[in-house]
Amino acid sequence: MVRVKSRYLLCEINISVPSNRLLLEDRPIFSAVKDAVASMHGDYGAAQCSIGFSVKYVNALTGIMLIRCPKSSYRLIWSALPFVTSVELKGRKIPLFLNCLHVGVAGGGELHSGTIRTCQKFLVRYNTQQLHRMLPQCKTTDEKTHVRRAILRSSTKMLKGKEHKDESD
Amino acid sequence: MSLFMDLNLPFTADKKRLKTLLETAAHLGFSTVAINYVHKAQSKGKQEIPKPTPLDQLVDELPIVQGRSRPIKILNRLTILVTDTNHYRTNAAEYKAYDILAVHPTTEKLFHAACMTFDVDIICITITERLPFFFKRAPINAARERGVMFEVCYAAAIRDSTMRRYTLTNGLALVERNNGKNVIISSGTDKALELRGPYDVANLAQLFGMSEAEAKDGVSSNCRSVLLHAETRKTASGIIYTVKTPKDTEPKETDTDTISMVTDEPPSAKKRKTSAETDTDTVSMVTDEPPSAKKQKTSAS
Repeated sequence: MVRVKSRYLLCEINISVPSNRLLLEDRPIFSAVKDAVASMHGDYGAAQCSIGFSVKYVNALTGIMLIRCPKSSYRLIWSALPFVTSVELKGRKIPLFLNCLHVGVAGGGELHSGTIRTCQKFLVRYNTQQLHRMLPQCKTTDEKTHVRRAILRSSTKMLKGKEHKDESD
Repeated sequence: MSLFMDLNLPFTADKKRLKTLLETAAHLGFSTVAINYVHKAQSKGKQEIPKPTPLDQLVDELPIVQGRSRPIKILNRLTILVTDTNHYRTNAAEYKAYDILAVHPTTEKLFHAACMTFDVDIICITITERLPFFFKRAPINAARERGVMFEVCYAAAIRDSTMRRYTLTNGLALVERNNGKNVIISSGTDKALELRGPYDVANLAQLFGMSEAEAKDGVSSNCRSVLLHAETRKTASGIIYTVKTPKDTEPKETDTDTISMVTDEPPSAKKRKTSAETDTDTVSMVTDEPPSAKKQKTSAS
């Protein structure tokens, strides 16, 4: 049996109005990406992305999504991602853009990921980084303690995860 | 991980819009951006080239770059839209206020002149309409020898489908002629929603027929060599440069008349030299030589 190889694109969804972020769902994003591929690469592209292409995960709070695509055509799908300009959510057209966070790029080999697990690992690291960025922007002390606690929690979790891994080794 | 740059963010008088634009660029991971002032040269009369707005008037606080702890670096860039050969003036004093100098030739003759003789850093390629001429290998090779980069903007491609076709056609035509070398990809948009992340831009550049490495160079190392080329253009191959003497170091005892006289002096008042011996010889030797791409690299190190 040969394993079906796929690539995962971890993307950030940038919306100009942050309150609209909570409306995000996987179905509309899927169709928006599919339309972009169809308009960029025509029928051939649309056919390519109808096999093994899906939106695996959408986090409406942080605006992160994960796309799965077959390894043979992931470049094709990725090249169409910049042309996604809006998504129709609840009957409204919401302007947004997608920013790839974690995919393989020549020269930057460390970004390559073939499994959903490496994506998750990257995402944990990325979100911790985001918390660190948020800290200086906090205005009240209440917010500050909140963010600090979140950072502590995430870093202890990471340490625990490492210990588990060491034990299993 | 390399430093990513976006050397074309058009200037808008709207401060709020510019601020969101810069914040988005920093968020996406661009560590250097250039604010672009476009100057449309007209054939009749002498026209003023606008002075760049000082940075502290534009933004109050520079946003921190994603994944780094440094604030974003902002440069000024002038693009001259040339429709006639005499629109570009060599060594005009107005150009000195800008960090990067670019030209946008509209005819084949001007394109040839821009590649062969114009002392600029970037040559812009028309992307919103069908190219009025074909690229020839000779001027493009000459530009490559001199270290001048060609710029392709992607924002128009995002806006609508016909523009996308023109962008792809012209990008393909350019990359076919110069084998993907000496191309930089920049945004050229004043809307934050039309900016794209550096990896997406690199992937987009692959549609022009560039290889993965060349596409990545288009947003990182080629932009860096633009900055170095700009520096060599300003400073006699990056070896000698002139500095304006700071006002507050002047002797305080002198009366007001002399002070005003000193400040009116051209900035060439003080010269700093790296090689102390055989001053005059080095100067003439260096200034006679055209700054080539190889030269930049040695001067950078």
